[in-house]
Amino acid sequence: MGSVAERSKALDLGSSLSGGVGLVSVLMVFVWLGENQVSPLRPICDLRVLDHFVREARDSEVIMRGCRGGCGVMKSYFVPLTSVDFAVWEHTDVHGQAVEVQTGLSLLDQALNNAMKTVSNSPLASVLENNISNIHSLGQILHSLDLQQARSTVLPDDSVPASAQTQEVSSLPELLQVQSSFLRGKVRLLLSAAPACQRQNS
Amino acid sequence: MRNDRLKIVFVLCLAFVSTGGQHLESKVAQLLQDKAEDIKCFVEGKDLTCFWEEEEERNNLHDQYTFTYSYENKKKMACVVSSLSLLASNKTVFFCKLPKTPFFTTLVVQVYRDAQMLYSRSLNAENFLFLDPPRNLTVTNSGKEGQLNVSWLPPPLKYMDDSLIYEVRYAMEGSNMGKVEVIKVSTMLVLLGLQSDTRYKVWVRVKPDGVAYKGYWSAWTEPVFGVTPPGDMDPLIVVLVLFIGLILCLLSLTVILSHHKFLLKKLWPDIPTPEHKFPGLFTVYKGDFKEWMSQNNGSIWGRSVHVYAEELPSPLEVLSEVSLTGHATSQREERKPVEEEEEKESERSDSRLTDRWREPPHAHWLMEQLRALQDNPESLSQSSLLQSHDTYVTLNQGDNERQDDDVFEETVPLQTLFTTAGTSSLSTSRSDLGSLQQSSGSGRLSSQSSFEYPNHTWPPKGPGYAYMAVADSGVSMDYSPMSSSRIAELGKHRMYTNDYKNDIFPHKWPLSGQHIKSGSGSCTGTVW
Repeated sequence: MGSVAERSKALDLGSSLSGGVGLVSVLMVFVWLGENQVSPLRPICDLRVLDHFVREARDSEVIMRGCRGGCGVMKSYFVPLTSVDFAVWEHTDVHGQAVEVQTGLSLLDQALNNAMKTVSNSPLASVLENNISNIHSLGQILHSLDLQQARSTVLPDDSVPASAQTQEVSSLPELLQVQSSFLRGKVRLLLSAAPACQRQNS
Repeated sequence: MRNDRLKIVFVLCLAFVSTGGQHLESKVAQLLQDKAEDIKCFVEGKDLTCFWEEEEERNNLHDQYTFTYSYENKKKMACVVSSLSLLASNKTVFFCKLPKTPFFTTLVVQVYRDAQMLYSRSLNAENFLFLDPPRNLTVTNSGKEGQLNVSWLPPPLKYMDDSLIYEVRYAMEGSNMGKVEVIKVSTMLVLLGLQSDTRYKVWVRVKPDGVAYKGYWSAWTEPVFGVTPPGDMDPLIVVLVLFIGLILCLLSLTVILSHHKFLLKKLWPDIPTPEHKFPGLFTVYKGDFKEWMSQNNGSIWGRSVHVYAEELPSPLEVLSEVSLTGHATSQREERKPVEEEEEKESERSDSRLTDRWREPPHAHWLMEQLRALQDNPESLSQSSLLQSHDTYVTLNQGDNERQDDDVFEETVPLQTLFTTAGTSSLSTSRSDLGSLQQSSGSGRLSSQSSFEYPNHTWPPKGPGYAYMAVADSGVSMDYSPMSSSRIAELGKHRMYTNDYKNDIFPHKWPLSGQHIKSGSGSCTGTVW
């Protein structure tokens, strides 16, 4: 009689243990799957989104030209270089291009935020806010393209390799012009040549 | 061998340069018209070319010019200046082609002449693209009516394929008025709404869309021809047209048939004939009126008259004659030419009765005679001439005082009584009598007074009495003294004038009375 009770006890223990192990293993499998499987964003390859941002950047330039009073103070901003030499650009790899674009977007974001603090004109302030949100969206788009660029979005001013990648402007109109050129140039070239999008098109 | 190769290479280079130069020349020529800037720049391929016109009164020495450019606060860089002679406009321009044009940044270009700045301009290179025209334009027949498929290749560019817009121009061959379609990015187009079986010319040009890149319209391509397929009639339309035509035919046929009598009357009217008035004249006697008359002398005449109750010929007798032969004959003689005149006139007259009173020259004397007779009715009782069914004309007179001619004419209404076997005519004539009272009130109708012929018999060939023959409608009345023999003639004559079928004696006696012209009336009547 004792052996029966003991046997039943052992059986119970064994079954519970096995159940627990199974559960754990299943959980392990799920975790592993979850870790390995990248949950990618669908790549945003439609350049019309970028064109929309470009148009809004141009609108801010127009509003800037028509601004009378409360249009910001003379202040120096560090902004990315916008010039594109096609020969050089084509020789740069995608990753390098992505890094350039990413750092440039960060710089612009910073500069625009600084500029907004000095602007009291409400239409201008609203378009600047719009531009800032557009730059954040561009960051998301870049992330969706999975270009292995640097993930840091905000860089402190002094840690940037300034001379190679930045220039200095001294007024808000110039800042907006740089923004417009940057979006139309490097960002667009990068997005149009992104491998994720090329795979889709071909 | 090497020399040959070098030569070939050199020739090729020359050819390339020349074609490039040709492109350059054409582009320069096109932009030369832009007067907004002193330095005109455009991007051809990936290189920016800036040019300026040669100033006059300077020698053509391009060594004097210096071209510099800078961007992003970097050092100024120099560019080699070249000259170009434009054959078309006979001008010379200097230009410089930047070797590595940076895009998406503000360039500052300057032109110096002898260390003195001439022109300066800042621009972004990506805003001045001057592209080559599209290539390989093809126009094909799609097979559908009024459609053509147009396709082309974009100019060879990198990174810009999705930033281009195209303009397709098409026109019928021989016409210069063309339509334009703008199409974005896509390099093919279907032209719709074209005429069938027509030859069309198509051109295409290209431009950056203006979002990322901006620029000028390229030159048009060479025209390419295409023919639209011939149109065929839509079978549904053909069937519908036939159906509608059939329905219309049936409708018109129905209308025509339902009104065919009316239409026939309008289009092919009957020629009126007088046959119905002369029964048997044309059928039995073959138009011989004399025979017909002789056969149907009294009764038929009366009967025919009776049939048209209102067209009663009735002899009119004025039953009083004063035997003043001198007067009478003189009157008669006078009246003979008048009579003939009257006859002619009446023959010439239209269907209306033209009765003319001719004022007798001795009107007053006449009236006196009548009055005398009236006052002495017993003298007339001897007359055997009266017949109850004869018609009587009573000349009613107004006041005796008024002896003027005017008064006489106005106040003598002519009144006719129709007495026949039937009384219907009488009744109608009575009503007509009513209408006859047209005088200014002095008329008095006396229907029964009759003048008896005192001395003479009544055979209708007396020389001295007036005899009026009242024929049927359409006959012009002739109040002229005439013999009996003329009565028949008159009847004959008058019977055939002015026959109108539709008017059943509208111009009756009473109306005829109205036709008495007051001004010219002369009662050639009573002669006794």
